[in-house]
Amino acid sequence: MSIALVAVVHVLISHGFAIGLLTLIVLMEQLALRRGDGELEDLAKHLLKPAVIIITAVGAVTGAGIWFTVSVLAPQGIGSMLRVFFWPWFIEWIAFTLEVLVLLPYYFLWERMRARRAGLHVALGWSYVAIAFCSAFLISGILGFMLTPDGWVQNQRLVSAFFNPTFWPQLALRFLGGLALGGLFCLGMVLFSRKPGAELRRRVMRLLGGWILAGGALAALAGWLYFSAVPRTYSVHKVFAVLTSHLSQEGWLLWLGNLLAVVIIAGAAAAALFRLRLAARLLIIPAMILAVGLVIEFERAREFIRGPYLMPGYMYASQVPLTRAEQVRRQGMLSQAAWYAAQPPGLEPRAPAGHALFMANCGVCHSIGGLNDIRDRLAGRTQPSVGVIVRRTEQMVPFMPAFAGTPDEALTMAAYLYELSGSRRSMEAVPPIGRKAGRHE
Amino acid sequence: MNNLHDLLLAKPFGDGAMELLLFGSFALHLLFVLLMLGTAMIAVFFFAHSWLTGYRFELRWDKRVLRIHLALKSLAVVLGVAPLLIIQVLWSVPFLTAAALLAPYWLGLLVLMITAFLSLDTIGHKIEVRPVRHLIFGVLGLAALMAVPAVFTAVLTLMENPDKWARVAARGLAEEPVLVFHWLMRYLHILGAAALFGGAFHFFFSTKGAEDRHYHLSHWMVVAVLFQVVVGVLLLGSLLDRLTPAIIAAVSVGVAAAMVLVGLAFYRGSEAREGRMKIALVLLPIILVSMLLARQFLQHQAVAPVQATLEARAQTQRALLAPWKASALQGFQAHLATVYDDGETIYANSCAFCHGDGGGGDGPEAASLIIPPERINAVRAQRSYLYQVVARGIPGSGMPYFTVFDRAKLERLLDYMNRQFGMVSPPPAQTHASDPAAAARVFAGTCATCHGTNGKGSAFGRGLRPAPPDLTRYGLTPERAFAVISNGYDGTVMQPFAQLPEATRWGLVSLVQKLRRPGSGPD
Repeated sequence: MSIALVAVVHVLISHGFAIGLLTLIVLMEQLALRRGDGELEDLAKHLLKPAVIIITAVGAVTGAGIWFTVSVLAPQGIGSMLRVFFWPWFIEWIAFTLEVLVLLPYYFLWERMRARRAGLHVALGWSYVAIAFCSAFLISGILGFMLTPDGWVQNQRLVSAFFNPTFWPQLALRFLGGLALGGLFCLGMVLFSRKPGAELRRRVMRLLGGWILAGGALAALAGWLYFSAVPRTYSVHKVFAVLTSHLSQEGWLLWLGNLLAVVIIAGAAAAALFRLRLAARLLIIPAMILAVGLVIEFERAREFIRGPYLMPGYMYASQVPLTRAEQVRRQGMLSQAAWYAAQPPGLEPRAPAGHALFMANCGVCHSIGGLNDIRDRLAGRTQPSVGVIVRRTEQMVPFMPAFAGTPDEALTMAAYLYELSGSRRSMEAVPPIGRKAGRHE
Repeated sequence: MNNLHDLLLAKPFGDGAMELLLFGSFALHLLFVLLMLGTAMIAVFFFAHSWLTGYRFELRWDKRVLRIHLALKSLAVVLGVAPLLIIQVLWSVPFLTAAALLAPYWLGLLVLMITAFLSLDTIGHKIEVRPVRHLIFGVLGLAALMAVPAVFTAVLTLMENPDKWARVAARGLAEEPVLVFHWLMRYLHILGAAALFGGAFHFFFSTKGAEDRHYHLSHWMVVAVLFQVVVGVLLLGSLLDRLTPAIIAAVSVGVAAAMVLVGLAFYRGSEAREGRMKIALVLLPIILVSMLLARQFLQHQAVAPVQATLEARAQTQRALLAPWKASALQGFQAHLATVYDDGETIYANSCAFCHGDGGGGDGPEAASLIIPPERINAVRAQRSYLYQVVARGIPGSGMPYFTVFDRAKLERLLDYMNRQFGMVSPPPAQTHASDPAAAARVFAGTCATCHGTNGKGSAFGRGLRPAPPDLTRYGLTPERAFAVISNGYDGTVMQPFAQLPEATRWGLVSLVQKLRRPGSGPD
């Protein structure tokens, strides 16, 4: 959950602000330069300030933040990913640094450069956009790999890992979606800002309306291509991925929500295109909220549907490599655990082995007392049935990995989880087996 | 705590080159961190100072300092990505272990950084805010910013003490006073370095034509150096058993360069400012590089052996696991080929291991359950009731909830189960000789206790785990119903009633069938 929250904020800023809004600002500056339109230039400059603050203060930090969170929650996953993708990430670092190195003079030297070398300033802006595109290019390879690593599984070559089946559609989706999202943010700012005069606002609204409609339509096409490239094994779980077990029985909510989002966003854009300020003002806030919802939906589905795998074909979500699973089944998880004996005091009942097995097997997705609480998941189950569930996870729930450990360890963990789920009451109600029948009349 | 011990994939390139890359990128990152932190300290301190000493707020300078802060902070953050990346590949296990052991603080970094940057940006951009607000944002931002290196130094300190991991995992960092002392000195040393570097930076680059600021900053630097001397000596003291000639040499060079820098700050000779600036520009990198070298030597010494052992182990593991690769890939391909989207697949995978392929309640796991799985091929119930059972499970039994599948999938599962086992069809009427009067008596006197007079379950019955089924919506084939009445249902409070005359039991079967709501065939 914390990963998700940080990731969504980061995606909104990196796509919406760093790609979308900045591209629009540079475009406006370019148009202003060509037409000698000082008012438009002022508006562009006015929009740049909040964008820079948000990109550098929140965008950059949440980017690193995803990493911080993942390195705590899935260290072996991130450790392995880094070994596959060291160079793309390293080049990404150079791209990040260049992005900041270009953005800072673009922001700080606006007036000075416009006075003397306006063309160069615009060129600086476009080079920023180019670097932002490179950044999206690099990250699309890495993110695509996490769902569709196809060729790499066999040959372990970086090229196969990077240019995986969902690479191109995802790149298109992220870039075009970013442009459309930036258009929405920009429209929101323009509609409620007192800065532009009425005439300028109408012109900018027209530009943004067309921009959002075109960008949004292309992004939707890219999204469709993306989901067509995802294997059906994964994509059939997208309703659950988004609605979770609380709402999974109400699948229509998902489609209605998406339809609503598309209609409202397109409505806001159309209102802007036809310069209907009141309608646009009414629609823009819900449109932005729904756009954020679409981003959340996409990222959540992308992360979740890969199911039992953290790196499909290589590592389970429990961070156990596929090749090791068999070894762990024979030799046990605890014999290889670094320090389960030192597990936290204060757990009632004290069950260090069960707890260590739970953390190793389930801890990446389930918590005790937090989100996706294992006690809720197992509430009402009998002890033997918890055992069956533990033994059959992978088969029973297609997006859960198999238990890694010996059959004895499975029993130990099941007993621990049964205690934890507090469902002993159910067994007390059960009379002993093989009892003699009494008289009932 | 994750049982992280080794990573099976090989490192992308050699350790030596990676350490070099780490050194270079870390130096670059740290330089901007020190300048940023020092700049924030100076901005807040001198604002407060000018306020307290009554010579009004020197906002013009403050503004300049804070604008520089925005640039420095952006660079410090992005430049930090590379060392973080490299250290996680080079010292994967030690670093990730230390971060995991200090997880709450490590995750808190995010909040600290965002708070710090937004607060300082706020006053940087709205410089003319009221002094009190200015000070509040400044102090808040600075406090958050100063807490950041505390976390990083703690993680690095722990990373460099692998012998302490298990004890810290068990009892926490606070129980290791020697480690805490070392960390504290290290942290203070970073703060001192930030004060020194920030001071030097602004002393040389942003005090042109302002003698009083020049004067104040020279004092600032002297205090910073004295602070560094004291903290540095204590820090060295905490490292006595680890010092090697190379480390001592690197530290000495750094100390000497720092002394010359302070001398320069006080030098009031006629020599041109530019000349002194050139010397300072050489000295600052010397101080940074020599101190960082010492740090990297220490780190290598502490961490390399651990990581080397683990990498060697990983290599052995890789060889051991090679034979499993083919079967693991086969399993993966099989998973990819299984689409849980039709009822047949879902039944075969998620249901059959208990209920059996033929629905006879005889799957391979059936024997391990105290309450045997239902023989679903004998169930004749309303579809909506079955949907409810499948979706929510039966508390107190082995039947879990299946909302892990969306509704469309569950409906397809029910379609399949009905096709296979006729679960939704109405039960055929029982044709054996029966004694309805005796059955009615037994039902009212005994069965109704749990099942309720109407079959929907009494208040007592509904409190049982598992609760009896709702007989108005759920039923069995006559033979199965007769068997359950005669033998009970193992593991539940449903007792065997084999002692009742057969005709009474068949009468009960008829009675139960009549409880089904009129017209309650397929719902």
